[in-house]
Amino acid sequence: MFDYTFQWRQAYARLPQMLEGALVTMEVAILSMLIGVALAVMLTLFRLSGNRALSAVATSWVEVARNTPALFQIYMAHFGVASFGLYLSPYVSLLVGITFNNAGYLAENFRGALKAIPDTQTRAARSLGMTGMQAFRYVVLPQMLRIAFLPMTNQMVWAILMTSLGVTVGMNIDLYGVTQDLNALTFRTFELFAIAAVIFYLITKAITLSARLIASRLFKY
Amino acid sequence: MTTKTLIGAAIAFACLAGAAQADKLDDIIASGTLRCAVTLDFPPMGMRDENNNPIGFDVDYCNDLAAALGVDAEIVDTPFPERIPALMSGRVDVGVASTSDTLERAKTVGFSVPYYAFENSVVVAEGVEGDSWDDMRGKTIGATAGTYEAIWIEERIAEWGEGTFRPYQTQADVFLALSQGQIDATVSTTEVANANVDSGNYPGISIIAKAPMVPDYVALFTMRNEYGLINYLNLFVNQQVRTGRYAELFAKWIGEGEPAQLTVPNAYR
Repeated sequence: MFDYTFQWRQAYARLPQMLEGALVTMEVAILSMLIGVALAVMLTLFRLSGNRALSAVATSWVEVARNTPALFQIYMAHFGVASFGLYLSPYVSLLVGITFNNAGYLAENFRGALKAIPDTQTRAARSLGMTGMQAFRYVVLPQMLRIAFLPMTNQMVWAILMTSLGVTVGMNIDLYGVTQDLNALTFRTFELFAIAAVIFYLITKAITLSARLIASRLFKY
Repeated sequence: MTTKTLIGAAIAFACLAGAAQADKLDDIIASGTLRCAVTLDFPPMGMRDENNNPIGFDVDYCNDLAAALGVDAEIVDTPFPERIPALMSGRVDVGVASTSDTLERAKTVGFSVPYYAFENSVVVAEGVEGDSWDDMRGKTIGATAGTYEAIWIEERIAEWGEGTFRPYQTQADVFLALSQGQIDATVSTTEVANANVDSGNYPGISIIAKAPMVPDYVALFTMRNEYGLINYLNLFVNQQVRTGRYAELFAKWIGEGEPAQLTVPNAYR
């Protein structure tokens, strides 16, 4: 009993606005990945450091990021921190929320990748006169990133999809936010969300395909 | 044999045709249930009491409509963005959800005549200077995404060429952001503004003025092609005013003052 006449022409007229939204979505996702990878490396080092305090920080970060809904994390980044007098704009809240989530998941991926690298390699590097930091940077990290590369791609796809949660903190310039606004304005729900779904699909597909290409170039033995 | 088959086919066809001609109004009366889409985070029009039962102006309005049709009412909690999917997928029959009857939306759904009209007020956060809408120029203003007032604010900000608009998903989030000082002001229906200021849940907020906009007329809605039902809804709205039930519901849910005029002077509908 689905009684609806599709008016594609009306929806296509809004396509430019939605594509602008898609750009914002990609911008947020890419930024959150760049910052997220840096933070995840930091968290991984914290965990390896053997320092109780640092390792506790890293562990609790990872636990919270992986075991609470992303929606909750983004909501807290807006309304939660505001109750302590720290006002983040919707854009920043969304970025902080997704980055927090990314860093947690990526740190866990990195830990798994590290486990796959025998510590004899670190010892070999140290015996060549490298410092612990150098051994990590030149020997362990490159291998770790190689093993963690595909999980990172997955996380990038998640980051794109997570931007759709920004509407809960008043974000209205990303793809989902724009679509939601247009929906309220025109009531052409099904056309607009169908178009948005296709755009999301194309973006994530482009990411996975290019990741495969990059991987095949980067990781040639 | 063929004659019999033909007659049988003719009878079967006539039955089918008869069934096909039954419209939504018939379907509702036959099914014994009227399913209304009501937004339950929009006090005092739609909300929940302490036992989690739906209450409010819109809820009562749906119950009245069901009583007039001689069927049971079923309240389907429908957030604002989901009103259309709920209707189109056949989960609800009628929307009683304080829906503004814009021309843009009327291309998609069928509206009745207005059953209520909202005036809007400007509400500001603590420490925000100004005593009129124009003083809000250049400030950060929030509202519930997709509402009549949200659309109006976006247009004004575009005209001014300065300031920021912040849409939130629920009325509660808007007032939370306002009391936290994340936004400077909001425009919301006078009913909601009064209820929220009086509740004391949002410290520091205050109403400074009426928003200078055309009243926000809201209508019942259903499928665009269900003329039989739309006709019935129009008469029902008229009867609610005629019998004094409209004024009664206004007194019950909104309180003091005169209920809004539902007709536009010097114009037919």
